Amino acid sequence: MSASVRAEAVGIRFLFDRHQRFVTPAIARLRKGVTEVWGVRGVDLALEPGRAIALIGPSGAGKTTLLRTIAGVLDPDEGRIAVEGRIGALLSVEAALTPALTGRENGNLLTALAGFPRRGTDGILEEIKRRSGLGPAFERPVGSYSQGMYARLGLAAVQQAEPTVLLLDEVHEALDHEYRLVLEEFAGAIVGRGGIVVAAGQDHELLARFCHEAILFENGSVRLAGPFEDVRRVSDA
Amino acid sequence: MIARPGPVLYALSESDLRARYGRGRIRLVKWLLDPFALVGVYLILISFLVNRPGPAPGLSLACAVIPFQLLMSSIISALTAVNRRKAIILNMRFRRELIPAAAVATEVVAFAASLILLVVMMAVYRVAPTVYALWLPVAIAVTIALSLACAYPACLLGIWFPDLRNFVISFVRAIFFISPALIALDRIHGTARTLVKLNPLSGVFESYRSALLYGHTPAAWELLYPLAWAIGLAIVFGLIFRIEQRQLAKVLE
Repeated sequence: MSASVRAEAVGIRFLFDRHQRFVTPAIARLRKGVTEVWGVRGVDLALEPGRAIALIGPSGAGKTTLLRTIAGVLDPDEGRIAVEGRIGALLSVEAALTPALTGRENGNLLTALAGFPRRGTDGILEEIKRRSGLGPAFERPVGSYSQGMYARLGLAAVQQAEPTVLLLDEVHEALDHEYRLVLEEFAGAIVGRGGIVVAAGQDHELLARFCHEAILFENGSVRLAGPFEDVRRVSDA
Repeated sequence: MIARPGPVLYALSESDLRARYGRGRIRLVKWLLDPFALVGVYLILISFLVNRPGPAPGLSLACAVIPFQLLMSSIISALTAVNRRKAIILNMRFRRELIPAAAVATEVVAFAASLILLVVMMAVYRVAPTVYALWLPVAIAVTIALSLACAYPACLLGIWFPDLRNFVISFVRAIFFISPALIALDRIHGTARTLVKLNPLSGVFESYRSALLYGHTPAAWELLYPLAWAIGLAIVFGLIFRIEQRQLAKVLE
């Protein structure tokens, strides 16, 4: 299994107009009073195969922004990032699910977006249904789901994609006890096979179960990186 | 791994259609009835209740209203397309430049059902199809190309100026009214005719009338002028969208 994440001086910039609404750089050139805020800046990262890293820090510190940059959802405004491996991401409780679609239809859409060929999709969807444990609810629009059900379906879809780089952002905190164990096992298996897990969250006890190292974020920058317990001690202080 | 564009476009449109028409047999009924609910009632009103000049006035109007409906619904859909895809955009990398195209593909499926209205109007006015009706697929292709090209600036406007969505819709409606939609081009004369012909919709509407109502080959300008607009818009706004799609996740946060 081949996986690596390398970031060099990565910066993600947000531009806001006078009304504090986000504007794109193209529109910012046409407006006065635009202010810039860096979600993350100057972040260096070198994740080797077989590592599980927790991103910890207060809300707004840049954890989600970094995860989205690794996932390719955000492109760096400064620096560069290179990710090797198949990415599986759960970056919000909604987990890429469209409320108007059923569990099966969402699975169908996500497998197509992930690059799976249409042929053989039925088998994949049955596997997602089984893994999610949603039973008949799999055929209902996900708009009627609880947060836990969303997270279970999202997790099952990600498991099916067999990622070598797993990115988690607080989604695991929405899972019930049984599926937290499933997630821990899944994350452990990825790391065991030489993959990479990067997880952000506020539940440090949960993160400690599958992350050996941690990075403490503050104001969009890395304050400390090292063994999980050492970083956590500083964070809690 | 980034999926190939074809399957992504198909999957995005399919999900839109499921959300719109639901599931099971009822979706076929919804698909067929949708255009009647949107413009069919209006056309029947014009055909049977309002005394309008010219040959087959209801068919003449249908030749404008039906292609315009595709353009209008594509623009409305594109204006909110990025928001509708929020959960996916914020969670995974995919070909985001296909978002406006998927909105149009969905509307094309809806538009296909509305073509039945053209047949109905031809039957109402007893206009027999001629060999020139074979130009209809070409006219439809130009309509789709123009809708696709307009979807990209519409999507960008929805991102840049979300407060202006209603204004954009009103603006597009205004363009409809300054075209030969309600009055055929052969009834407009002088400077007004020259000005109206500058509207890319004029050529589209007249090409449908040429193929179905007048029974002759559409004039070259009727197809090429709107196509030139479509190519121009697609090049300019397609390039801008390719740059701006990098910012979509930030817009949605």
